[in-house]
Amino acid sequence: MNETITADAVAASHPRPSGATAEGEAARQASAIEMQGLHKRFGRTTVALDGVDLTIEAGEFFTLLGPSGCGKTTLLRILAGLEEADDGRLAIGGRDITEVPPHRRSVNTVFQSYALFPHLSVRENLAFGLKMRGMAAAARNAKVDEIADFIKLGDLVDRRVDQLSGGQRQRIALARALVCEPDVLLLDEPLSALDAGLRSQLQVELLRVQKRLGMTFVFVTHDQQEAMVMSDRIAVLNGGVIQQVGPPREVYERPVNAFVARFMGHDNLYPVTARQGGRLTTALGELAAEEAGEGDLLLIRPETLDLLPGEVAGDNHLPAVVAERLYRGSHAEYRLEIGDTTLQATLNNRGRHLPEVGDRVTVTVAPDDLVTLSE
Amino acid sequence: MRKRTLHRGLTAFWWATLAFLYLPLAVVVLFSFNAANSAASFTGVSLRWYHQLMGNEEILSAFANSLVLAISSSVIALGIGCLIGYGMYRHRHRKLGWLIVLIYLPIVLPDIVFGISEMAFFVQIHRLTGLLQPGLGTMIIAHVTFQIPFVALIVYSRFVGLDPTLFEAAKDLYASPVKRVVHFMLPTIKPALISAFFLSFTLSVDDFVISFFTAGPESATLPIYIWGAIKKGVSPEINAIATLMIGAVAIAAIMSLLFSRRRPA
Repeated sequence: MNETITADAVAASHPRPSGATAEGEAARQASAIEMQGLHKRFGRTTVALDGVDLTIEAGEFFTLLGPSGCGKTTLLRILAGLEEADDGRLAIGGRDITEVPPHRRSVNTVFQSYALFPHLSVRENLAFGLKMRGMAAAARNAKVDEIADFIKLGDLVDRRVDQLSGGQRQRIALARALVCEPDVLLLDEPLSALDAGLRSQLQVELLRVQKRLGMTFVFVTHDQQEAMVMSDRIAVLNGGVIQQVGPPREVYERPVNAFVARFMGHDNLYPVTARQGGRLTTALGELAAEEAGEGDLLLIRPETLDLLPGEVAGDNHLPAVVAERLYRGSHAEYRLEIGDTTLQATLNNRGRHLPEVGDRVTVTVAPDDLVTLSE
Repeated sequence: MRKRTLHRGLTAFWWATLAFLYLPLAVVVLFSFNAANSAASFTGVSLRWYHQLMGNEEILSAFANSLVLAISSSVIALGIGCLIGYGMYRHRHRKLGWLIVLIYLPIVLPDIVFGISEMAFFVQIHRLTGLLQPGLGTMIIAHVTFQIPFVALIVYSRFVGLDPTLFEAAKDLYASPVKRVVHFMLPTIKPALISAFFLSFTLSVDDFVISFFTAGPESATLPIYIWGAIKKGVSPEINAIATLMIGAVAIAAIMSLLFSRRRPA
């Protein structure tokens, strides 16, 4: 009895969206998303999704990453119910919702354009979802105040929508979706319209909100940096097909194919012309690689390289000439020439010597930093 | 220096144009307050013609007819035009081509052609079925037909000006189809609807030609009454009616303009 009272008192003194209660916890555990064989085409020819199988865990910050037209937004819209899959099944928390219309799904979306209703005040916008679900006015108001406090909206609640800046609209749109306490929150490139500074600030804020609520977030972006910062796991899409699913480090450091590698920002890809045991022959020369994996394309990440002055002989030591250097303060980016082949390298600026353009250097790389992948 | 002269010239031209447009109206308004019987001279300010209007049964019934016609036709046109405007918006990406032209056509078609066609049509229907006896009913139908395109276009352009994602946001935020209409669409286009109503009202009060061809013996509107009355010469009474109509139409037109400009807060 005493314990209950204490718990209530704590809850009252720390108002949070009630998703954070014990029952909410249990409900969220059941809010994993399962997609099976999702297909979607537009018209006769455009294939948006070509068989997507994906499981998103409850409470995960999951990102759908890919170039425009890869199907990531279509997949998000199918989750929201705004688009209907031609084939396949979709379930949230074990319940099949393939045929459930959007207004009956416990899923809310933060739209890229924010989509705040112009005929309503900020407060009415925030309360819209609760009102549509039939919540009484007093309870709605309490919920809105709670979420305004949680997202730190301050006096924005009493403004008109047309008085808000882009960043403020974004936060209202987030609050409007969160206040409904959905099983899953969908975010369709919510930060892409903002300038760089505000964007990284809101990235951090969004991440904190997600961690505190423990809600399942599905985030769509074409920005691999943003995806890596935010996500527990990333799915990289291309041509309506999932290329790779994994935590950011895995996707960045161990891309499964050339598309993922290039999309994650890698340029150092070299066809393997011969392979003998752990030794690979490429246009750069012969390199020893441990646990490089299958595939006949070698990936060398720029930050795994080191540059030694002059010519130094040794295993995985390649003679090179500095063709270009971009000094970036915290680090420097190099374009090196090895014979007719170029190689990108990134060197942290730790007060050591940074070779100049025209210098002869030796590139070294650890065997276990080399990865091979398929085209 | 030359620029200044040009500027003055254009300003003068502007006032001249306004005078050209509004002087005749001003004369009518002025003489509606004339104390004298004849329009030859202005002898003093008086409300006698307005008093006389109030006692004229025929005028009062024409006024009532005009009002009933304008309000009921505008309400009906608002309902139908609103649905058509929404339909045009929903299917705007399809190739509708000549269907859209059909909606626009009544706007450019000469009133006289429209009026004669409506009359001929009603006569045929009446001959065959006994329905649609010429009168207020046929006039309302005729007015609705020319009001619909204006309402549809106003509603359509309001929808086109909206972020299409708003429709999805309403779905996403648990609004059922009915709730989307009540809580999102209607409030969002409310200014457009009010504007369309007042425009329809103005068009209806304004209309003589189409009313003339579709009216029955008992359903003369103000314009039809005036037309009949001036055969006996322009009485100062007509000036008073005209002045009242100018006032009514001006108010409706200003309301229409105000609401078409108002962005929902």
